[in-house]
Amino acid sequence: MILLRLLTLPYVRKHKLRTVLTIAGIALGVVIFVGMRTANDSVMYGFQQTVDRLAGKTHLQVSAGETGFPEEVLEKVQAVAEVDIAVPVIEATVQTGLAGQGNLLLLGVDMTGDRSLREYDFEDGEEAVIDDPLVFLAQPDSIMITRDFANQNKLSSGDKLKLETIAGPKQFTIRGIMKPGGMASAFGGNLAVMDIYAAQFIFGRGRSFDRIDLTIKPGYTLEQGRAALEKALGGGLQVDPPSSRGKQFESIASIFSVGASLNSLFALLIGLFIIYNTFSIAVTQRRAEIGVLRSLGATRGQIRMLFLMESAALGLAGSLTGIFFGLLLARGMAQYLSSFFGEMYGVTQRVEQISADPRVLGLAMFAGIFMSMLAAWIPARAASEVDPVKALHKGAYESFSDHENRRRLWAAATMCALAAGCWFGGGSRGLPLYTGYLSVIVAAVLLTPAAVRWLVVLLRPLLRAVLPVEGALAADSLMQAPRRTSATVGAVMLSLSLVIGLGGVSTASYVSLIDWMNNVLNPDLFVGTSEQIAERSYRFPASFGEEIRRMDAIDDVQFVRTARVQFRGVPVMVVATDIAAVGKRVRPKVVAGERETMNRLAAEGKGVILADNVALMTRSRMGDIVEIPSPGGVIRLPVVGITIDYSDQKGAILMDRKVFVENWKDDSVNLFRVYLKKGVGPEQGKRAILERFGSERKLFVMTNEQLRDYALRVTDQFFGLTYMQIFVAVLVAILGIVNSLTVSITDRRRELGVLQAVGGLRRQVRQAVWMEALSIGLVSVMLGLVLGAVMLFYYLGIIREEVAGIRLDYTYPVKIALILIPTMMAVALSAALGPAESAVRSSLVEALEYE
Amino acid sequence: MSRLAVLMLAVGACAAQDARQIMADVQNRQKSNSQRYQGWLKVIDSKSKISEKRWSYDRLGSAGESKVVLRFTAPAEVKGVALLIVNHPDRASDQWMWTPSLQRDRRIAFQDRSTRFFGTDFSFEDLEERDVNQYDYKMLGEETVAGAPCWKIESRAKKTKSSQYTHVHLWVDKARYVFLRIESFKGDTMIRRIHYSDYQKIQNIWTPLSLEVEDIARKSKTVLKTEKLEYNVALKEEMFTLQALRRE
Repeated sequence: MILLRLLTLPYVRKHKLRTVLTIAGIALGVVIFVGMRTANDSVMYGFQQTVDRLAGKTHLQVSAGETGFPEEVLEKVQAVAEVDIAVPVIEATVQTGLAGQGNLLLLGVDMTGDRSLREYDFEDGEEAVIDDPLVFLAQPDSIMITRDFANQNKLSSGDKLKLETIAGPKQFTIRGIMKPGGMASAFGGNLAVMDIYAAQFIFGRGRSFDRIDLTIKPGYTLEQGRAALEKALGGGLQVDPPSSRGKQFESIASIFSVGASLNSLFALLIGLFIIYNTFSIAVTQRRAEIGVLRSLGATRGQIRMLFLMESAALGLAGSLTGIFFGLLLARGMAQYLSSFFGEMYGVTQRVEQISADPRVLGLAMFAGIFMSMLAAWIPARAASEVDPVKALHKGAYESFSDHENRRRLWAAATMCALAAGCWFGGGSRGLPLYTGYLSVIVAAVLLTPAAVRWLVVLLRPLLRAVLPVEGALAADSLMQAPRRTSATVGAVMLSLSLVIGLGGVSTASYVSLIDWMNNVLNPDLFVGTSEQIAERSYRFPASFGEEIRRMDAIDDVQFVRTARVQFRGVPVMVVATDIAAVGKRVRPKVVAGERETMNRLAAEGKGVILADNVALMTRSRMGDIVEIPSPGGVIRLPVVGITIDYSDQKGAILMDRKVFVENWKDDSVNLFRVYLKKGVGPEQGKRAILERFGSERKLFVMTNEQLRDYALRVTDQFFGLTYMQIFVAVLVAILGIVNSLTVSITDRRRELGVLQAVGGLRRQVRQAVWMEALSIGLVSVMLGLVLGAVMLFYYLGIIREEVAGIRLDYTYPVKIALILIPTMMAVALSAALGPAESAVRSSLVEALEYE
Repeated sequence: MSRLAVLMLAVGACAAQDARQIMADVQNRQKSNSQRYQGWLKVIDSKSKISEKRWSYDRLGSAGESKVVLRFTAPAEVKGVALLIVNHPDRASDQWMWTPSLQRDRRIAFQDRSTRFFGTDFSFEDLEERDVNQYDYKMLGEETVAGAPCWKIESRAKKTKSSQYTHVHLWVDKARYVFLRIESFKGDTMIRRIHYSDYQKIQNIWTPLSLEVEDIARKSKTVLKTEKLEYNVALKEEMFTLQALRRE
């Protein structure tokens, strides 16, 4: 502690900017980690909280994935001896059309029995009305809202509230206002309750329920009740506690979570480099100090401990700063994620508050301090090994010894061999895949000093050609201090490689998506219930499709019903359509099977066609019998074909519509694919449908072009992370380069002073610093682009084998690379402006006296 | 076993038999093949707020094997809503509801029979027909209610019959074999109290034309008055089907 106070504090005071930059480096990693995890957790927590608040006393829920099931199931459930109370539920979100209110979660319940399961706490004076379900049930426009929602919109009992129904907008009468708290606080208070049969009508659900909430009779365990229900209902319906809905949501959004975790890990890794850089420099600069201490009897352990304590203190400061800003970032990101999940997965969620998990914050704190100490370990060890006699010698310690270089190269070669071994040893998935991925990163880091040296040697003639004196000075400065330079280059390289990797994934995704859209999405119009295609709250009756078909402008209409079901533990999308008709119009890429045969068999209800990603993730092959749960029991059909299909990120199972209708007892439709007659333009066809049905139905018509734009927009949102990563890369570059140049200038004050003393112009000094910065930027970009190419290879493997089962072609993101080069050069130059001015404005006398 | 114990058991058995016999007589004397009336219901809550409803009531069958159609006639917002109740001797009744504004029927499964009957102070269990065989009885003594000497009998649902109440106290008019008061308990706490009044002999059946139920906890009460009451009306079986419920 004495050493810390006597030596560290004065050093920190003297190098305030560098200290701040180092703390910022740690904080950056922690910000990304805390921000992304907390935002993700908050959305998940919000969903679970809504589920919990709506569950009331519910022990178990019976559902058929998202599809719902016929009303008759309720009687079967109620007849199970172990079941105490069982009530049906429809749960969906509706647009209120009220400014700033967004979605309203609408719970359709049977008020005659639901109050035995859920607490409806009403305002005084409304008890009589709400306690009389007769009035509530007799008037299908009855709706209850929460006090919060009523206050926000200046609504009271008896007022009208307009909601979108499948038959167009309708006025509802508020016949009850729930007191705040408890159930009324679900979905941030944007909750409404109505009669379940009215809800069926609103959402076009026919005679089906979404789920049944139930309690088990006292004396029976949950497992006994569950077993009895599963036996009574067959395997087609799921019986789970309410908490499992949160897990299903997590599973649906898992791809995003993996991306967020990868980003967080990288951010921390980059922070590690910044700290390593700082401490390497600090040890170099304080060699004399260390030498004196060692001469006075300080042990190696004390010196090592001094630097480790410094790093821990910086880690603590960085972690605290990072946690603070991370939580701020999470607040903004959570709202973004919430709306994104709605668009991407059709699961609308409302984030009520930021859920700061103490474990995440604790882990962030630990990671910040641990990474800081880990990064400082090598410099601290180097400090402890300083020879007191040689301590006053300057210069050579910023370079690596031949021995050290050899060791690094051997280690890098070993890591490369390990990565190759993992890959060729059949490790294209699981632990070997991740081991290979990490080995490549470690190898790249170990090779960085050597690569920097080689590249700077190659760059030197070019720099000299541009500006002979300044260029040579810049190149020599970099070559003389590879330790300082390579840490900065390493951090920027890693950051850029992540951008290239993610950018490559995004580019490949766009290429594959567009290819798929060209093959499959060829109808002229798409008629859905919402502008969000993934939204599945509302459904059309099948008769509506026939009405469209009868219009003059229409050539053909294909009915599509989509619904998420659990298949081999994966929440996949069932896509039910008239395969014979669709097969004549679309030609998706076939991965396995023969096109005509698969279409014929599937159209006859003798098989299903799997999306390639479902087949990969569930290890399904041609001819396998797949078991799909449905309310009518488990459907067992063979896989008759595997095609490329991006209908859903978690994958799709294509089946004929009649198989769906027969087993789900549900002929409702999510989407109509409409082909227009020759000579009818898309806008003309769209107008005709809207004019004919717009006033009597809730419908949304998209032209082919609009649907493609929609799909690309949602994909853009998904890859929004990539753009955030570019921002992080820029920040890392600024931090690293400013840090590196500040030290470089401090180290070379005498050299720069001499240059000015012998007639060197300020402009030359300034330009030398700029050249050095540009060189760091250029070398970093070159290495980052190369490492990014390898990272992309691994990311595609992880996506294919571990996350989504999607085969994406390797497509190097040339455009992103071309953007990165000038961006990073501009960043490098702007990062050099401050240090360069500091170099030219320092006192010449002081500079010549330096050291 | 001592003689005294044997004597006490014999007296107890005899008293229980008496109570059961009384209840069987009550059931028999009120037996009719069908019933029709118009009901008028007034709910007075703890703040003296009053709401009213009217309905028409048709019953076919008796003693726990009856079918009932109850059709609301007022107020306007519930007019046309109808209930079909099919009572079973060995289990809870089946009930369906017809909502004209939605043009659809729904099955009502009142698994929790303690639920209040559409905002009144009756629970659905209170409205079920009691079959004498579904309960055990015990004579508690004799008391006078509204000037009429009564037997005070305790009934407890048999194991085969679930009930929200642990036990019920019934006051049976000795002269007419009709209920004058019923108090329902959960443990030691009284949940509801029902007063029967305005008895008239209609077609040789003593019939209460007024009934008042109090919800002790809520401090609210419901008054039911019946008008145009007839027994053994010629009602057809087809009137008590879902199809008939939808037609009218």
